Amino acid sequence: MSHIVMFFGRECPHCKKMHPLIDKLEKETPVRFERLEVWHDEKNADLMRSYREAIAPKCGNQLRVPTFVNTETKDAMCGEVDFEKLKDWALKQA
Amino acid sequence: MKKRYWRCFVCNDIHYGIAPPELCPTCKVLHAYVEISAEEARKILGGGPDTTMAREDFRAAIGRFTVGNEFEVNPDADKVDLLLTGIFENEKNHGFKFCPCRLRTKDWEEDLKLVCPCNFIIHETYKGIKDGECWCGLFARRK
Repeated sequence: MSHIVMFFGRECPHCKKMHPLIDKLEKETPVRFERLEVWHDEKNADLMRSYREAIAPKCGNQLRVPTFVNTETKDAMCGEVDFEKLKDWALKQA
Repeated sequence: MKKRYWRCFVCNDIHYGIAPPELCPTCKVLHAYVEISAEEARKILGGGPDTTMAREDFRAAIGRFTVGNEFEVNPDADKVDLLLTGIFENEKNHGFKFCPCRLRTKDWEEDLKLVCPCNFIIHETYKGIKDGECWCGLFARRK
């Protein structure tokens, strides 16, 4: 199973909306996410910065949250998405 | 082109830009700006009135900012409250009112683009979109 990270901000409303969708996906499938907060944890922020090349082209050339990264393939998905899109992307990573 | 600091020789307004304004917006004198050093600009600004901005002051300021524009502060009050919390946390922890929905890169020029309100007019979530919003959703196209 691939290692998928969700980079999020504690006060980002889009990230807040994604958490329940991830809970649901983790219940329904074997996919697991490591959720890392980036505005209150500099270590997590530096980790997100280290994936800039993978994230920026999908994120308006910036480091935006929420962002989902497959740390092995460096595939990334950016922004608030609906459950089906999240599921499709996550299952593709498996 | 590199931005520099300029001071109005009449009223001491400070301008940061690649060129000085022709007309001073405060005292209305023409051709009044002279280039100064960053240190001089900081001293002048640092000695000015206390400009600390409380959360409700900022909320009022962004409300005034939208007047006459095609966008408004998002009518979703819960979303706005969460974002204001993030903006003020970021100012406390990182020095500027950074957008809570993007991460600073540690590059000065790049990170200035994340200070709220940012130039969201160019965001793909806003530009040309009927119900467009800035990336974080603090501002939305006026209905």
